[in-house]
Amino acid sequence: MNDTRRERLAALFDAHEDRLYRLARRLSRSADAASDLVQETFLRAAKSWTSVPAGASKEEAWLVRVLINIRRDEWRKTAVRQRSAAAVRAHDGAGRSNVESALIARQAVWNALDTLHPRRRAIVILCELEGKTPAEIAVLLGISGMTVRWHLSMARRELKRALETYLGDTP
Amino acid sequence: MTTLPELLREADPVSGEPRRGAHERSLRRDAVVNAPGNGGDVSRRSMMKRVVFATTLIAMAGAGLYWSRASVDVVAAVRFEVRLAEEAFAPGLREVAVGATRKIYLHPETVITNSDIADASVVPGSRDGEFSVAVTFKADGAERMRRATQNHIGKPVAMLIDGTVVMAPVVRSAIGTQATLTGSYAKADAERIAAGMIGR
Repeated sequence: MNDTRRERLAALFDAHEDRLYRLARRLSRSADAASDLVQETFLRAAKSWTSVPAGASKEEAWLVRVLINIRRDEWRKTAVRQRSAAAVRAHDGAGRSNVESALIARQAVWNALDTLHPRRRAIVILCELEGKTPAEIAVLLGISGMTVRWHLSMARRELKRALETYLGDTP
Repeated sequence: MTTLPELLREADPVSGEPRRGAHERSLRRDAVVNAPGNGGDVSRRSMMKRVVFATTLIAMAGAGLYWSRASVDVVAAVRFEVRLAEEAFAPGLREVAVGATRKIYLHPETVITNSDIADASVVPGSRDGEFSVAVTFKADGAERMRRATQNHIGKPVAMLIDGTVVMAPVVRSAIGTQATLTGSYAKADAERIAAGMIGR
């Protein structure tokens, strides 16, 4: 049984680690934090490997959901989102060079993303950066399409409010 | 004019950062593949399916390997007990470890013992070649179990084999006549445990 388990875990890791890292990186403040998040996800899989469903897309969905849940637990423990919200408002971007402005804008985007609940943040990322449709996201996360669309619209509203300095007039 | 998707793409760390080294990835892979597990642990979703299937009661968190090890020594009689347990310490409770990371606190009274078991049988587990043990309680025992667990929702109930906690599922609804001890046991181990429980 031990060999079966090791083979399954190795196959899971090889098939999904890259994909999970990309999502984790977009949910975390640093590359190290992202690596740790992916590691913790696989350790959960190792702990209860018999409950990981078979088939690539089901495996992916299981792992993605676990990853987001771990991130959510971390997020709840920190009060980063409150500090970040304040930091976002403090930047005005005036009188800076282009490079500085770009860096500050980038930082502001990350601060704004940190204020979102990880599930909502994941939904925005899956949509805007991974190009998935709300229907695909719904299947992946095991929630309804309506819930996905609601999170997307709330997330866009929150991000636009936090980032209004950096956004143009067009919606 | 910058749009929100443009801002998000410009700030995307995945496109700007170098990928981690192969060495680090390999270390992490080894850590996962060789990670200690507790074998038969089941997710809440699959637990709930099984609960419906077993028509009764419980949500389970298994301790398969733990039990497999314990069961190696099981020859004939198997002492089976069910006790209520708590996640937090209170006076009069006994602390026990469940698997490597979890601790629960046992109540001193037993709710169920071997004499309350009407039948124990081997049932297929969640994967081919793995087996669980389904335990059916006698009427008295089932009623005691139901009364004990209906006020214990959201708290663990511990199943002990020869004094060792092999499972401590959290009660989701009152437990009635049957419980399934999930795990990934070889058929012979599961049969030995089932037979030992009812003194066959």
